[in-house]
Amino acid sequence: MFRLQDSKVLAVDMTGDAVKAKNGSMVAYDGEMAFKKLSGGGEGIRGMVTRRITGEQMTVMEVKGHGTCWFADRASEISLVGLQGDTLYVESSNFLAADAGLRTGTSFTGTRGASQGNGLFTTTVEGHGQVAIMSDGPAVVLRVGAQYPLTVDPGAYVAHQGNLRQSFQSGVTFRTLFGEGGGEAFQIRFEGDGLVYVQPSERNTIAGEV
Amino acid sequence: MAFREINSKMVQATVAPGQRLFSQRGAMLAYQGEVSFTPNLRGGQGGVMSMIGRRVANEDTPLMTVEGSGTVLFGHGGHHVQVVGLAGDTLYVEADRLLAFEGTLEQGTVFLGSQGGVMGMVRGQVSGQGLFTTTLRGHGSVAVMAHGGVFEIPITPQRPVRVDPQAYVAHHGDVRNKLSTAMGWRDMVGRGSGEAFQLELSGSGTVYVQASEEKL
Repeated sequence: MFRLQDSKVLAVDMTGDAVKAKNGSMVAYDGEMAFKKLSGGGEGIRGMVTRRITGEQMTVMEVKGHGTCWFADRASEISLVGLQGDTLYVESSNFLAADAGLRTGTSFTGTRGASQGNGLFTTTVEGHGQVAIMSDGPAVVLRVGAQYPLTVDPGAYVAHQGNLRQSFQSGVTFRTLFGEGGGEAFQIRFEGDGLVYVQPSERNTIAGEV
Repeated sequence: MAFREINSKMVQATVAPGQRLFSQRGAMLAYQGEVSFTPNLRGGQGGVMSMIGRRVANEDTPLMTVEGSGTVLFGHGGHHVQVVGLAGDTLYVEADRLLAFEGTLEQGTVFLGSQGGVMGMVRGQVSGQGLFTTTLRGHGSVAVMAHGGVFEIPITPQRPVRVDPQAYVAHHGDVRNKLSTAMGWRDMVGRGSGEAFQLELSGSGTVYVQASEEKL
């Protein structure tokens, strides 16, 4: 049972069940808890290999026990996402915790990843349960509809869910080449039906430089 | 209460004649009225012996005395500020987390080794807090700094709380603390969960925990 203690602290009430959380993100707990590191993002040998190759390394631990456990990481803002059989795509650096019953994996993102400076792969979480994701500043959730495609700065993108197609847009003109670009040379465009989580801050990306 | 939270990172203190405040040196942001700030060479209350005690214990954060009549705004480094009210009990807090406190409170230094013996000393080393900590006792309020927001967890005899030493801010009440280790063979082979050391607080009182594992 996930709940937000405040915008920066996640409280999880557990009765013998387990959650996967970012390694070292526990700040306090009561009751009895056991912490165990999971290799390869909790996906076993296959995860160890694919995560090593894809650069989507994620160190997670399994927390199991009875009581309440509080998680926080470097004062990042936390958003809760409920999944009903659909898939959440999130950067491994923005992942905080998930129900242990959810499956995690990696997926290829193509050129979007390269422009974000986060590599060509992203982490996927699917199944039924709750996920906590982190952002630098409170994240806003933007809905994408069939008539309303959304364009996002790669550095501000946090996560997305639903049936979305993403394409990579470049606004590079001759001005960019002369160093007169607006700092918005690359964008990600989402089309379809779903939700996109955007943070009020930009990671350092190649796109921001030009 | 002398302190009023203006926003999450700033407190406003009211000073009146005869009521002294102590604050971390340089933490004043603005003031109104006739207020004087004097650097406190002795680093707080007590005489020269207390000063030497604090120097030896490395708990000698530079403080200043705030006197006069008016209002003063305090804040430091963009850290979140939490006001804790004390009614006769003792607050245990690290000296560098103290933003300001009322002069009615009695300041002291305790040796952590006296609480939990050798493990108390290990605790100070692990959490980077040193072997000593500052105590404030009496009636009054204290403004404490933390990275990220602070939240309170009540401690009851039936419900001890374990805290990550890096996320621990302060505690008050009748609380015993000891460092517990959950080290196993996994930590030895570099497969630890990053939660090898925990600060176990039992008794009755409140512990303040910050939403971050960063020291100030």
